[in-house]
Amino acid sequence: MELFANLAHGFAVAFSPINLLMCLIGALVGTLVGVLPGIGTIATVAMLLPITFGLPPVGALIMLAGIYYGAQYGGSTTSILVNIPGEATSVVTALDGHQMAKQGRAGPALAIAAIGSFFAGCVATVLIAVLGAPLTKLALAFGPAEYFSLMVLGLIFAVVLAKGSVLKAIAMIVFGLLLSMVGSDIETGASRMAFNIPELADGLGFATVAMGVFGFAEIIRNLDHGAEMDRNLVQQKITGLMPTRKDLVDSTPAILRGTVLGSILGILPGGGAVIASFAAYTLEKKLAKDPSRFGRGAIEGVASPESANNAAAQTSFIPLLTLGIPPNAVMALMVGAMTIHGIVPGPQVMQKQPDLVWGMIASMWIGNLMLIIINLPLVGIWVRLLRVPYRLMFPSIVVFCAIGIYSVNNAPVDVVLAGAFGLVGYWLIKHDFEPAPLLLGMVLGPLMEENLRRALLISRGDWSVFLSRPLSAVLLAIAAGLLVLAVLPTLRAKRDEVFVESEG
Amino acid sequence: MSDTPSEAPVKSILPKWVRGPQDFVGGLAMVAVALFALWASSDLQGMHGFSFGAGTAPRMFAVLLLLLGGAVALMGVLKDGPHIAAYSWRGPLFVSAAIVFFALAIRPLGLVVSAFAAFLIAAMGSHETRWIEAIIVGACLTLGCALLFPYVLGLPMPMFPRFLIQ
Repeated sequence: MELFANLAHGFAVAFSPINLLMCLIGALVGTLVGVLPGIGTIATVAMLLPITFGLPPVGALIMLAGIYYGAQYGGSTTSILVNIPGEATSVVTALDGHQMAKQGRAGPALAIAAIGSFFAGCVATVLIAVLGAPLTKLALAFGPAEYFSLMVLGLIFAVVLAKGSVLKAIAMIVFGLLLSMVGSDIETGASRMAFNIPELADGLGFATVAMGVFGFAEIIRNLDHGAEMDRNLVQQKITGLMPTRKDLVDSTPAILRGTVLGSILGILPGGGAVIASFAAYTLEKKLAKDPSRFGRGAIEGVASPESANNAAAQTSFIPLLTLGIPPNAVMALMVGAMTIHGIVPGPQVMQKQPDLVWGMIASMWIGNLMLIIINLPLVGIWVRLLRVPYRLMFPSIVVFCAIGIYSVNNAPVDVVLAGAFGLVGYWLIKHDFEPAPLLLGMVLGPLMEENLRRALLISRGDWSVFLSRPLSAVLLAIAAGLLVLAVLPTLRAKRDEVFVESEG
Repeated sequence: MSDTPSEAPVKSILPKWVRGPQDFVGGLAMVAVALFALWASSDLQGMHGFSFGAGTAPRMFAVLLLLLGGAVALMGVLKDGPHIAAYSWRGPLFVSAAIVFFALAIRPLGLVVSAFAAFLIAAMGSHETRWIEAIIVGACLTLGCALLFPYVLGLPMPMFPRFLIQ
């Protein structure tokens, strides 16, 4: 019954006024960026990282978590009403959701999306609470060799589940690892690749790189397309939010399936919420008696991916909280937020900082409750926000980011560095390199080096330690197997098919 | 979202045997980064006995990136791939200019001046900018940030130009 005691403790923490406020702010900001196309979750969390500096750590993480799952709610609104996904995770929702809106059923589509998200959010919250403690115990049994292998597996998973070329994604990871080497060596203190620039002595700031590669690069990329985005809103008033009885009957199994699929895919490192929504949509289409209904306003096509993306957004906290390993780029930013506050992510966090972990878990449930209120009755306000033109939004984001980065260390050099990484990010996008694996590599770099060094020191320089320790060998074998599968032509075709689905 | 605004003119300076210029150039750039990292970390100590030196891991990752970059470039030779996408200059130029201006101006000129000016410089990055509207929004944003960062969040930073305060 430790679980209930923990949860009760968590709720006590989460219900403190400051944390409730943080949760509300996170949910509001998340909905906002979810609704607005052109600002991604990763960019937003990166943007707000510096701001959390002045907040207590629990509140800061509650807020950042709120942004992530809040964006999953908000993204569906834009998808359904405007046919432009507000978030990458809502791409598939637009397929059937917008058709429903065109048929005058925008209300039920929005309601089912929110109900599905809420249900999935509740299940995922319980799952985190249940799985948290046992996984942490498992993690405590890990030695450096196992940790290293686990991180290799995590990175490989991220590559296999991501979109695009496997080779290029691995190259991005290694690029990230290399960037993480800049600064001082942890053991000897020697300055590495810092070129005697004092601001680099502590390494490249994580927030700086993230803000550049995701924030600035995204803005520059969006400007390519012309600032004016095509926004043909569904103009008629949204009437009747309540779904019919038939809608509920049709969507209940879809919500359940989406939740299960999303929860599983969220725990696995890699795509997280994005891949979950794609996979859920594909699954519904395969299972449907009449697949031709999909793309013409099938309510299952809204219910399942929306449940899946929200479940995945939340279960992706499990590897972060228990193992200290971020499974995707947003979680990598959460690691950044934790380190800003002097918390080293890992299995020990759960024991040393129960307030933080359980407070965050409890806040997720509260946040989901807030979100359903924020999203359903207030949907009109969010729709009005869609009329803010990008030509005014982008300079605001640039200035806001610049001030934010400057405020982390009061260092103008950081701002210039972020700008430079913005150009690097733009170049990477132009050459079809995904920036997310780079961020993962950068976060895991120091951890990997440390564990690799320690493992080899313990084994007296014997590299076979990674294969002779059974747990480590199993992890590496899975990683190798995945990699082989990923480059096999048949599976590649299948994988690409899942992603192509949306673009049709 | 790899769709590009306009197809690049098929006027490549690359030799004919490069069938996927996007991958080819991308891979070569990674190789260049790796070589640079190898050079930059060449002064660091390597393995001593069976324990890592400061330079071991950086060089290890650099060699790995070298191989991967080479492989990506090789794919660009062996497989047909997309051309290098067209770059636009306006967005990158003005957004970078705004960032650099902000970095240079924040200490001597303070938040109010540098944020407002950076907003207007960034706004030049789009040809759709309407100036009256931009000035109003820029002023509001500046005011908002001037209240948010130092007062609400308690992050100290200079507000006004140094020569005005003294």
